[in-house]
Amino acid sequence: MASYILKRVAGSILILLLIMVVTFFLMNAVPGSPFLTEKSTPEQIANANAKYGLDKPLYIQLWNYIRNYLKGDLGVSLKMQEGTPVKDIIFHQGKFLLSIKLGLYALLLAIIVGIPLGCLAAYFRGSWLDGALRVITTVGVAIPGFVLAALLLIAFSVKLNIFPTKSGNLPDFKSYVLPVVSLSSYYTCYIAKLMRTSMLDAINQDYIRTARAKGVKTGGIILKHALRNSLIPVITYLGPVTAGIITGSFVIESTFSIPGLGKYFVQCVTSRDYPVIMATTVVLSALVIVMMLVVDIVYKIVDPRITLTAKED
Amino acid sequence: MKAPFAKFSPFQVDPDKIMETFGIEDGDFSKASDNEKESMVEMHKSISYWKDAWRRFRSNTVSMVALFVFLVCLFFAFIGPYLIPYNYADQYRTSQKLGPFEYSEDEQTARLAEGVGDGFFATALRPGSITALDPGEYYLKSGRTSYVFTLDTLTENVIIVLDKNSAEPLKLYTEDAVKKGAWDNYTVLPCTNTPSENAVRLTLTKKVFPHVFGTDSSGRDLMARTMYGARVSIIIGVVAALIVLVIGSLYGSISGLAGGPVDFVMMRIVELIYSIPEVLIVLLLQVVLKDPLQAWFQAHSETSAFVRAMSDLGAGIVSIFITFAVLYWVTMARIIRGQVLMLKKQEYVTAATALGASNGRIITKHLLPNCIGPLVITTCLQIPSAIFLESFLSFLGLGVSAPMASLGSLCSDALQTITLYPYRLVFPAIVLTIIVLTLNLVGDGLRDALDPRLKK
Amino acid sequence: MEENKTLLKIEDLKVSFFTPAGEVKAVDGISYTLGYNEVMGIVGESGSGKSVEAYSVIGLLQNPGKVIGGSIEFEGEDLLAFTPEQMRQFRGNKVSMIFQNPMTCLNPVYTIGDQLTEVLNCHDNDISKKEAKERAIEMLKLVGINNPEKRMKQYPHELSGGMRQRAMIAMALICSPKLLIADEPTTALDVTIQAQILELMKDLQKKENTSIIFITHNLGVVAEICDRVSVMYAGRIVEQGKVNDIFYNPQHPYTQKLLASIPRLDEETTERLVPIEGTPIDLLNPPQGCNFGPRCSECMKICLRKKPPFAEVGDGHISACWLHFKDMIDKKEAEKDE
Repeated sequence: MASYILKRVAGSILILLLIMVVTFFLMNAVPGSPFLTEKSTPEQIANANAKYGLDKPLYIQLWNYIRNYLKGDLGVSLKMQEGTPVKDIIFHQGKFLLSIKLGLYALLLAIIVGIPLGCLAAYFRGSWLDGALRVITTVGVAIPGFVLAALLLIAFSVKLNIFPTKSGNLPDFKSYVLPVVSLSSYYTCYIAKLMRTSMLDAINQDYIRTARAKGVKTGGIILKHALRNSLIPVITYLGPVTAGIITGSFVIESTFSIPGLGKYFVQCVTSRDYPVIMATTVVLSALVIVMMLVVDIVYKIVDPRITLTAKED
Repeated sequence: MKAPFAKFSPFQVDPDKIMETFGIEDGDFSKASDNEKESMVEMHKSISYWKDAWRRFRSNTVSMVALFVFLVCLFFAFIGPYLIPYNYADQYRTSQKLGPFEYSEDEQTARLAEGVGDGFFATALRPGSITALDPGEYYLKSGRTSYVFTLDTLTENVIIVLDKNSAEPLKLYTEDAVKKGAWDNYTVLPCTNTPSENAVRLTLTKKVFPHVFGTDSSGRDLMARTMYGARVSIIIGVVAALIVLVIGSLYGSISGLAGGPVDFVMMRIVELIYSIPEVLIVLLLQVVLKDPLQAWFQAHSETSAFVRAMSDLGAGIVSIFITFAVLYWVTMARIIRGQVLMLKKQEYVTAATALGASNGRIITKHLLPNCIGPLVITTCLQIPSAIFLESFLSFLGLGVSAPMASLGSLCSDALQTITLYPYRLVFPAIVLTIIVLTLNLVGDGLRDALDPRLKK
Repeated sequence: MEENKTLLKIEDLKVSFFTPAGEVKAVDGISYTLGYNEVMGIVGESGSGKSVEAYSVIGLLQNPGKVIGGSIEFEGEDLLAFTPEQMRQFRGNKVSMIFQNPMTCLNPVYTIGDQLTEVLNCHDNDISKKEAKERAIEMLKLVGINNPEKRMKQYPHELSGGMRQRAMIAMALICSPKLLIADEPTTALDVTIQAQILELMKDLQKKENTSIIFITHNLGVVAEICDRVSVMYAGRIVEQGKVNDIFYNPQHPYTQKLLASIPRLDEETTERLVPIEGTPIDLLNPPQGCNFGPRCSECMKICLRKKPPFAEVGDGHISACWLHFKDMIDKKEAEKDE
């Protein structure tokens, strides 16, 4: 187990390095300079470039990035908050924490609501409850998060005035509700659908028949025998969910005016603030990769057939 | 083997009684002919895979309804724009910020003519109330309804239109007065409903089509834009799905067929792409590709029809395609590889190999036909995911750029003014949701119909 | 093996599956009795309703299957009148079942020990963890699994197929049930393992005094283990009798064909194997007459019109075929003529 985790961590670092290289070349593939504005003179641009080391050859710039990152230095912002260390922007201004909180709650909501709903639908398959849940979840996976966010905003903030229109720094519970719900709705519905399918699949397995023949109670059959087996596909889906929730937070944050990392990243990309783009990409990628690692480990715990050392398809 | 009936130890029953109890007739114990035997057995007709799949799909009500609704959406997106007089890009200056079915004053007055048929009479008014009128458009108001008419020739007398069935006097206005909006300040001209000798036939102005979804802040018709946006979104979805299909299935089948170290390396690449949070890269790609693409369009659009088509779509959309080609094929590749690996192990493939069938024959005769189910399903479900990604990018201000529209960009535009004009978001959002929903349902139906594992 | 008392009595049992395409009469009126300590084989090709019949005994019929007629009595109690909770307590305790594929019949995410002790916990609330564990280990030993303490902690995928089937048998017998239903328990196993498992079942049957309903399509297995045999075709029993009667003196044309279609090693023979022509009937539209009629080489006109009743052709040996009645009438007529 330990050696597996070590291997995976090493692999993750490699992937992060690769992501850095890709990001670097993508950033620099845009012609011109981040300092190019209508007013700026060529001299000013050249000075700014020299100041931040952008005049050096690309491979040296890339090497500097990697070297500094290994030291834990994420550089300074070029444009958005010129001169401020990127580390401060991401971690100390609360952006990272804000996004993490939002994403984590959305993830929890999706799991806590999605899994029981899927089980219920599977257990009462063919009933009105199953039908109703099927309609809800099917529509739920067809509504983009930002559309739902906007609709909720109209209904609950503008018309009914129950929740604030701007969630800001998420000061209280009320400000969380709409962003978290709209961020997690797609995944809640998807997990519920997935859970229903895999639960039904599990219920039809031979070992469930064995359990029934053994005289296990219905509750035991569902909760002990079917649930654990049917959780396996849901767990594998949690990796992509994390990535999706981070993505979704980009739009949810701007809809609810939450100054999180996602919103900031979009601004950085459009204003070409290289060090911030790089740092945000690396931090968010690391988040996804760590989550994937966690998923794999949980997977191993739930399914004893998986051996982590020799992974097979 | 002859039946050893000799050993038979009978019931102590009278055979005649047996005949009676069971109603056995004479000749019943004679042998039945083969024809008689066959007539008792109803043979199953064998149906082809596709016919069977279509039969199963057809019996799935939800999917059939979804398919129908999706076809309606296609009609809306591709035929719809030719049926309404508005264009997605035209700005009607006087028609800004209208709600659904609202009309600008211009249109309102123009629309008034709709109710007027040919059976109207114009009569001369009392001379002297208004002097000569120039030819042109005039507006009439009677009670709450108003009419517009055109004078063909210079007229000495003022002409008035009268409803045949109504004796109510009509008001007459000049064009200028209407434009100023000073309807009621104008002279009321009483008239009679008796046709006179001086009656003049009136020409009516054009009909006005309502802004069903309203207009945006620049005066563009939102229904036209939604139709256009739906078309763009669907095209993006389909093209992206096809790109994914081609790249993914090629990559997957090569990897699965080759096996060994080639498969190993190819799958490590897939895993790598899998663990990259793609949207971060997508966002970067969007920004990065914009300028080079535009430069490329300008340089080559004269010479190449392909580039011209691309440049019509715009840099945003083309970079979405590139994104899909670079990052989104991995799922498809995995599915196809899995399918190929599974099929490779099937006995009939082994049998074909043993019989000396060439690789090409095995691929075309055995592997491809059996992969078609998953291929169709994955492609179908890829379309909504591409539409989602496009709307997401457009929402962030990337993707398509004005005056072009996609459902995502329409939603995004609407969000700016959400508190004032919520309907601007609602219409494209509903269309977007319906398209994605129906495609998902059709995809689910296809999976149920095509997946042989569910075949019973 | 003397049958002194009746353990299980099935009378005119009818089970139908209500599918969208129509009613499938999977079991169409079968009756038999099973004594204590008796091993009854139920033989038939796939789809003949042999498993469905067994499932209705243990109450495992799933939608859309439904018992629509007849009765099942177990030690004088009407099983069909049981509440679901009564039925649950009954399963695994008085009747238990082992299945065809030991690869898929054990839950992959729990250890063998977990799954064994679970049966005890389900039927005895007072049993302590330690007792349950000891009993499980004892059972594993009984079914010939060596190193049972270690096996208890292993997951099914860590065991071989034969080992898993042994564990399944241990699980089925852990509550000392009166009746064990074995649904093709050896079909999915290698031939050598098959023999071992059969030997084990024979042994345990004697040791534990359990009655067994042994469902199989393999006549060789039947000869090995059963006291009596029922041959099923298309939802009905066509012939029933002691194992020797069925093998050496088959009366029903279907049984005869079935026996002719398997290779015999115990007899020196130059005869070719004879396949049974045609395919099993479509249970959605069963024929009006004898179900086997359309495939039967002896088929008569009456066979296409009416289902044959049983004729007692020997001591405890019955067969449902019109030929017996034809013989009877012919014989009678011959007597008259004399």
